[in-house]
Amino acid sequence: MLAFALSAGSLSGQTPQSIPSPDILKKMSVDELLDIEVTSVSKRPEKLSEAASAIQVITGDDIRRAGATSLPEALRLASNLEVAQIDSRQWAISARGFNNVFADKMLVLVDGRTVYTPLYAGVYWDVQNLMMADLDRIEVISGPGATQWGSNAVNGVINVTTKSAKDTQGGLLVAGAGAELRNSEEMRYGGKLAPDLYYRVYAKQFDHGDSVRPNGRISNDAWRAGQIGFRMDYDAVAGDLLTLQGDVYDGEIGQAGPDNIGVNGGNLLGRWSRRLAENSDVKIQVYYDRTHRLIPGSFTQNVHTYDFDFQHRLPLGSAHDFLWGLGCRFVRDDIGNTPANAFLPPSVGHKWFNAFVQDEFALSKDRLHLTFGTKVEHNDYTGFEVEPSARLAWRPDQKQTVWGAISRAVRTPSRIDRDLFSPATPPYRVAGGENVVSEKLLAYEAGYRVQMEPQLALSLATFVNTYGDLRSLEPLNPPQSFPVQANSGLRGRSNGAELTAEWQATSRWRLRAGWTELRVHSEPEPGSADRATRDSIAHDPNHQVTVRSLLDLSAHWECDASLRYVARIISQSLPGYAEADLRLGWRPTPAWEISLLGQNLLHAQHPEFNTPGTRRELQRTIYGKVSWRF
Amino acid sequence: MAFLTMNRRCPRRRSMLRQTTAWLLWFAWLGAAVSGAAAPTTPSDEYKLKAVFLYNFAQFVEWPAPAFREPTAPLIIGVLGDDPFGSYLDDLVRGEKIGDHPLLVHRYNHGEECSGCHIVFICRSEARELEKILARLKGRSLLTVSDVDTFTRQGGMVRFVTENGKVRLRINVEAAKAGELTISSKLLRPGTIITPGKD
Repeated sequence: MLAFALSAGSLSGQTPQSIPSPDILKKMSVDELLDIEVTSVSKRPEKLSEAASAIQVITGDDIRRAGATSLPEALRLASNLEVAQIDSRQWAISARGFNNVFADKMLVLVDGRTVYTPLYAGVYWDVQNLMMADLDRIEVISGPGATQWGSNAVNGVINVTTKSAKDTQGGLLVAGAGAELRNSEEMRYGGKLAPDLYYRVYAKQFDHGDSVRPNGRISNDAWRAGQIGFRMDYDAVAGDLLTLQGDVYDGEIGQAGPDNIGVNGGNLLGRWSRRLAENSDVKIQVYYDRTHRLIPGSFTQNVHTYDFDFQHRLPLGSAHDFLWGLGCRFVRDDIGNTPANAFLPPSVGHKWFNAFVQDEFALSKDRLHLTFGTKVEHNDYTGFEVEPSARLAWRPDQKQTVWGAISRAVRTPSRIDRDLFSPATPPYRVAGGENVVSEKLLAYEAGYRVQMEPQLALSLATFVNTYGDLRSLEPLNPPQSFPVQANSGLRGRSNGAELTAEWQATSRWRLRAGWTELRVHSEPEPGSADRATRDSIAHDPNHQVTVRSLLDLSAHWECDASLRYVARIISQSLPGYAEADLRLGWRPTPAWEISLLGQNLLHAQHPEFNTPGTRRELQRTIYGKVSWRF
Repeated sequence: MAFLTMNRRCPRRRSMLRQTTAWLLWFAWLGAAVSGAAAPTTPSDEYKLKAVFLYNFAQFVEWPAPAFREPTAPLIIGVLGDDPFGSYLDDLVRGEKIGDHPLLVHRYNHGEECSGCHIVFICRSEARELEKILARLKGRSLLTVSDVDTFTRQGGMVRFVTENGKVRLRINVEAAKAGELTISSKLLRPGTIITPGKD
């Protein structure tokens, strides 16, 4: 993964040059040819700005060999993320701190579609049920990516990409059963409709068991869901790419109380990109996304999102690679409130507009690159927001990169910040925060990457973040704790380091390791009466260590193991833990794969998140899977 | 699904439907505009580089003598399926010779046609036929090359993998040996040698 990240960085760091002329190419050695960077439209990294950044890439094969059964499990492969499973279906996932059930400082995209809910800017991981075999790669960027990606890309960006329909031709059946994921079936079929026009359709369903309480009793959060979808790709040789894809899902989730949570939704996305010249292209993307969630006793949420994006890349002279774009998003929601809690008004429509410009300037060709730019966004809550950044990458030689960056990012208010009231009618105990403004981050980053040997690569990223206007809950009649009103009364700072290493020990054995150090501090700004929220906005371990081993026992057998250590979360009195996963895979023929996966093997059960009273624990589990290609 | 019930509850159903329809129409228009556009003929950098590799393979692979009918017979590079190279590959090898063998490019639509060539690039369009194609070519002195994901696992000889924006080689030496092909260390050293049955 790290090696991938290294080269992904170097790839995006250099101004894409067209490859040399045929006559020169013919004279090159194989080694030289292997070193040429090709930037096809489909594979070109979307964000040149991320050259100088802490990026890790999880490939489809990494996911297969980890045996990951869900997107959050796959995200455990990125050592720059904090991934904590809360119960059978909820996850707290963030980078660089401020992790929470509603971690709201990460931008998560699936094939270019934003999947965080505009209600609270966090992600419902229980409805991101992609077919695992369709995942092409996941880019995980820790650190702000707001200049190109926009608000919410404060602490990091998770960019999930599925395979082109061109690469999923033929049939695939996957069936598995286990102790936690009780059964799961995935089906896919891909074909060709016309020259260069490919399609696939898929269906997935699963039934997931309960997590347990600390005393071992089940916690009644079993759930099941199904999803169907399609993707069509028109992939002309010449550089036109047209994608149309969509998914529809439905699920039922157990919760304490008589009625289950019901979820359903769907999306439709179209994307067109065209190569205009060797290093110039345009991309247009449009999508519609609908989510529905019925939480008995709490809310019914209906959210419709319409999004449009345009991006154009062009060279300016020989030293500048210029990228600019425009985008807009319309969100209309419709909340079914209950007497206990209410979003007021219950139905609103919001608009976001944005424009960004970015220039990558080769100060010295192939050696020193400066990327600078800004995004300007307009939202209905706070008006204009500016998110500039500057990144410098220095490559003393082909094997090393030293980089540094200064960026500003914001998290604009979401519905929960401004419009949440409890109870639904006055007098309120919790009142909507009409004064909540955007949370602001100023981030300083520095990093170093080195390919020490062909077999050994290291990467270190360090950062210092300062936050202002973090969300607080201000008591209205202090010293009484209630009523409270949301406001922007906290500030914070964090610093840390992310170290990763990848070592190809032998041709059959790869080792990967990650070590992340993190310190997060938050406090009231002068004038704020908040004394409680600061303890509840960040739940982060100070240390995390992961080691993964990928071993090919023979041509047909694979044995993969991972060990992770997560230090205690002080704010939740949660003890640190170590856990191990082990996978044995057998491919008797190219068409068949049979694997056995043991997860969380070190303890009968362990918790990863939450305070003692609300804690749920995860059990040791075994999962078996058979997949057949035809 | 609750799609319909939800819409019934939503007071703005009509305008929502109208909006959705407008977006869909707009997208359909976009699609029509694209498919109507003329397609240029230059391949992507990725395929240009792959074409150069095919040319290199001709230099760094040794075929047994019977693979050529006569000492001056052409060395044929075949492209099976939807050709991603356009005229680039032809231009690249025009006038080139490997020893006394002039290089030629042939294109094929069916797997059975390509048994007469020396190197065959199997395009992604043939991914579903791969097993049949490879079964037919098994043991022949014909270097099979492709960028289909499962290629070497299914018994193909050289697979292009685009990683980190660079083209990598996965070489199934066993399969090449079965075809009595000798691959030069100049290719083997920088390529990743894979064991049969693997990616």
